[in-house]
Amino acid sequence: MTILSAGSRSGGTSDGKAGGKSGGGANRAPDARTGAARRTSRLVSTLVVAAIIVALLVFFVLPVLWLLLAPTKTDAQLNSGFPLSFGSFGQLAAAWRHLTSFQNGAIWLWLRNSAVYSGGALILTLATSIPAGYALALMNFRGRKLLLTVTLIVMIMPSAALVLPIFLELNLFHLIGTAWSIILPFSFFPFGVYLVYIYFATSLPRDMLAAARIDGANEWQIFRRVALPLARPVIGLVAFFSFVGNWNNFFLPYLVLPSSQQFPVQVGLNQLLSSTPSFNPVAGKGLDITSPELALAIIIAILPVLVLFLFSQRALVSGMLAGSTKE
Amino acid sequence: MMSPRTVARTRGRTIAAAALVVGAAAALSGCASTTTKTATAPSAFKQAAQDNASAITVWTDSTRLPDVQKYQQEHPAVKMNVVTYDGSADGSTYLQTKVQLFDRTGSGWPDVVFASPTDVTWASVPTNPSAKAFAAPVDQLVPASTLQGFAAGSLAPCQTGGHTYCLRNDIAQVVTWYNKKLMDQWGYQVPTTWAQYQALGEKVAAEHPGYVVGAVGDTNSQESYFWSSQCPAQQLVGDNTLKVDLTAPECTRMASLLDPLIADKAVSTQGFFTKGFDGSKVLMAIGPSWYGQYLFNSAFKVPAGQIAASAPLKWDGQSTTATGNVGGGIWMISSHSTNIKAATDLTTWLTTSTENLQGAPTYPAFVAGAKAWLANPANKGYFATDVSDVFLAAANEVWTGWSNTKFSDATPWSNAVLSALTAGKSLSSSLPAWQTAIVNEAKSVGYTVVTR
Amino acid sequence: MTALQEQPLAGPASGPARRLARRRAGQAGRTGRVGYLFVAGYTVLLLAFGVFPTGYSVYLAFTNADGQFTGLGQFSKVFQDFRFGPAFANIGVYLVMWLLLVVVLTVVVAVILRSRVGSGVSAVLRFLFYIPGALAGVASVLVWLFMLDPAVSPAARLLRALGMQNFDQVLAPGNLPVILVLIAFWTGAGGWIVVMYGALNNIPDEVLEAARIDGAGPWQIAWRIQIPMIRKWIVYMAILAFAAGTQLFVEPQLLQTASLNRVSPTWSPNELAYVFAFQNGDFNGAAAISLVLLAVGLLCAGLLVTRSGLFKVDED
Repeated sequence: MTILSAGSRSGGTSDGKAGGKSGGGANRAPDARTGAARRTSRLVSTLVVAAIIVALLVFFVLPVLWLLLAPTKTDAQLNSGFPLSFGSFGQLAAAWRHLTSFQNGAIWLWLRNSAVYSGGALILTLATSIPAGYALALMNFRGRKLLLTVTLIVMIMPSAALVLPIFLELNLFHLIGTAWSIILPFSFFPFGVYLVYIYFATSLPRDMLAAARIDGANEWQIFRRVALPLARPVIGLVAFFSFVGNWNNFFLPYLVLPSSQQFPVQVGLNQLLSSTPSFNPVAGKGLDITSPELALAIIIAILPVLVLFLFSQRALVSGMLAGSTKE
Repeated sequence: MMSPRTVARTRGRTIAAAALVVGAAAALSGCASTTTKTATAPSAFKQAAQDNASAITVWTDSTRLPDVQKYQQEHPAVKMNVVTYDGSADGSTYLQTKVQLFDRTGSGWPDVVFASPTDVTWASVPTNPSAKAFAAPVDQLVPASTLQGFAAGSLAPCQTGGHTYCLRNDIAQVVTWYNKKLMDQWGYQVPTTWAQYQALGEKVAAEHPGYVVGAVGDTNSQESYFWSSQCPAQQLVGDNTLKVDLTAPECTRMASLLDPLIADKAVSTQGFFTKGFDGSKVLMAIGPSWYGQYLFNSAFKVPAGQIAASAPLKWDGQSTTATGNVGGGIWMISSHSTNIKAATDLTTWLTTSTENLQGAPTYPAFVAGAKAWLANPANKGYFATDVSDVFLAAANEVWTGWSNTKFSDATPWSNAVLSALTAGKSLSSSLPAWQTAIVNEAKSVGYTVVTR
Repeated sequence: MTALQEQPLAGPASGPARRLARRRAGQAGRTGRVGYLFVAGYTVLLLAFGVFPTGYSVYLAFTNADGQFTGLGQFSKVFQDFRFGPAFANIGVYLVMWLLLVVVLTVVVAVILRSRVGSGVSAVLRFLFYIPGALAGVASVLVWLFMLDPAVSPAARLLRALGMQNFDQVLAPGNLPVILVLIAFWTGAGGWIVVMYGALNNIPDEVLEAARIDGAGPWQIAWRIQIPMIRKWIVYMAILAFAAGTQLFVEPQLLQTASLNRVSPTWSPNELAYVFAFQNGDFNGAAAISLVLLAVGLLCAGLLVTRSGLFKVDED
């Protein structure tokens, strides 16, 4: 509803703006007929725009709403009731009890594992990619071009194709079964390096570095005192994308981790699915894990990322584009 | 920073290098074969260094979890690490995948696993030349008398190369399920032959549309119907030779029996286990012994006292009855276990102790256990009639011509047949596609395939 | 994932980078050695998880389990496998549908959000579209399994109207590309819309003003000016969407479980490689499949890159 009115309102403002500035340009000689035709076409165009937006809004938001409401209902209510109705808090509590008692609270273990893997990788990613991107942008050394080229190629390579050899490699170094087998591959984030590179290459005032050098600061001091404080937005971005990407990663941990005690929550969800009668009825008979519990598990699994989304909402939707805003 | 030209140059070089490699490869005649010899002959079983105090890791499906937990309670001195997984049900390859992984890493194997019979086919041979077969030969670990206590033929899937690699948990003999209350109410006779079954189906379709006498849409429906019909869909006729012949009359008779029923909607093309299947409309079902508790009681929530079972259906003119088998788990002991003694004790307790089996969730394969199970009112109280004799007899009638293969029979059936049925094709017309799918699967895991 | 591509692209176009490159020549030697220390950590990771695995894949693909050279034997073996053709055909159909949808719709929506909707509303909409991105991976498939089940879906009427009465019919193998595109679009499009919006934002107002004065309508402006000016971004999006698309694994795998095996367990090339490696214990065959996938991905990316001059960065 609001969208519709907003759409037409904005159509009006932008037209007003254009009209105001062009102020009686050559094209403004409407006779009555073309004026009406133009109004009609504008109306059609606004309707098309509104229809697209409403359709997309439903497409993107409806599943999320459904998901948030699902754990408050019983399996039967899900099947028969109105899809977007609220069940009861009692049912939510029951779903909570069933889910947390699955394999003695395995979901907490999975969440902890996810936090360890994503958090550990985050620290390593920041520690390696920020200096690397900085050096690639502002220092000169042999092999710099090669490093950048390889980074770019690796960035567009389908990473899943490399998971098998990575597994064999980890095995070679006896890392299989340890947290490192996930953290180390996760912390390789060429994308972050490239992002930092571009940021420093475009946004750091050169004079500042030159001044620091004249003052006798060494390269490390310059990096610490001058570059890092300025790089906060890009550090935030790298951190965000590294964390979200790793939290949601499935293939590597699925392949590499032998024991379900070590699973991150994404792989845990898969195990939950394969042991719930909702989607794999032959396995897991007699379990309390039904659709509402599964929905609750999904919500819990994505909650950290969702919270991150909400908190960095402004940065994501506008701030991240700082580098590309008009000057 | 690199320029487009640099990229182009680098890429050009890469391509040139790749072309060189390919060219060289083509030039080199007499390259080695892509397949290498794997040790197929089971070498003598050698235990790992034993430590009777070490903890054992147990992988079980959620259904058998309470049994394992009960053992733990009664044997608190045994250190156990219990992990739940999908139980390798329904064509899952989780266990196989992980064992492959452990064979590469050289550690991590569970000591005891619950699995499906299909798993024995790969677990009894090494997964790669340097590995040791995962499953330990249990015939060297438990007394022969214990093995003799299992129902006739129930250990067949465990046996290969003169050894027994698993202990059977339960049998899933196919019987004829029906809703006695509805049958009585409508005055129908329970069929004893397939012809009567078909006639009843037609009658139901006409008189009570919406009710079904069976379903073919599950991943294991082929085992209920085509196995019972003695169809040679996957019959080992030599060490590594598989007979696949869906043109055999044993196969076509079942397809043509079911097709009219499917057309009349007396047999559903959905699976009984499909979400939202209306269990109150099920008049009959051809399926395994565990349908009683799991399908009718848990999933369909049919009230107690309505469901009954009768003997497997016969073909006209055949004196002996043959029936199918749908699942039935096994327990394997890892050959890598450092505490074989504890692992063996647990496995033996799970599969043979009366104490455990009388309350087991499914029909035990161990004969004494099965008797105790049938004597337990809790296992029978739900049914409208006494199912003991039906179960006992059917357990010995499972046809042995449907072999336990290295691939799961669920995959070709579901891919080729179920998707065709969902699209509205007939079962008879799907048989060629099914044949191709089975042959493809069989060849991909190394079988020689014959059609007669 | 997607949204940060904004800046890398902002770089090439903007002046400072070019100026910086020119200046760098004067500083050569000044920061020489120290640079290695700064990139050391990343270089180790790059070698370990980028370069080495690629090399190892190549080695595996040209040898057998005993390490003997097999030439193209592994490749011809996997080409002949009965699952190879269908898997690559599946992914091909999926990629075409996915790329078309993501390119057309995100650009159209970004244009609408940029020029047809008030900025406050636009920000709210962008955020709402972006939210499903939090549910990437397994979670998104699970949500859509519910959305596609006529028994529970809020869109059940729509599904029934399309002739799909039950879950089995929805998950018929032929529908899989559509379902996967829906899921991918749901989780990924929001981020791309944000990126495209940012790109459009970058077009100077004066250019649009001039077009308006010349009497161009909003759609004409979009088609003639806005879209051509963000062409590079569109190509960039296409490359990354393509790369992500070739990697489907968990999505078809979960759909296979949920469809009670009606969907093939080797629907996508990645799944096939997985089966080769872990079911058949054939890591060499798996590596060959991975390499084919890698080659196709790099080839397409390379074509797009060279055709669009995308990575024309700061030096010549």
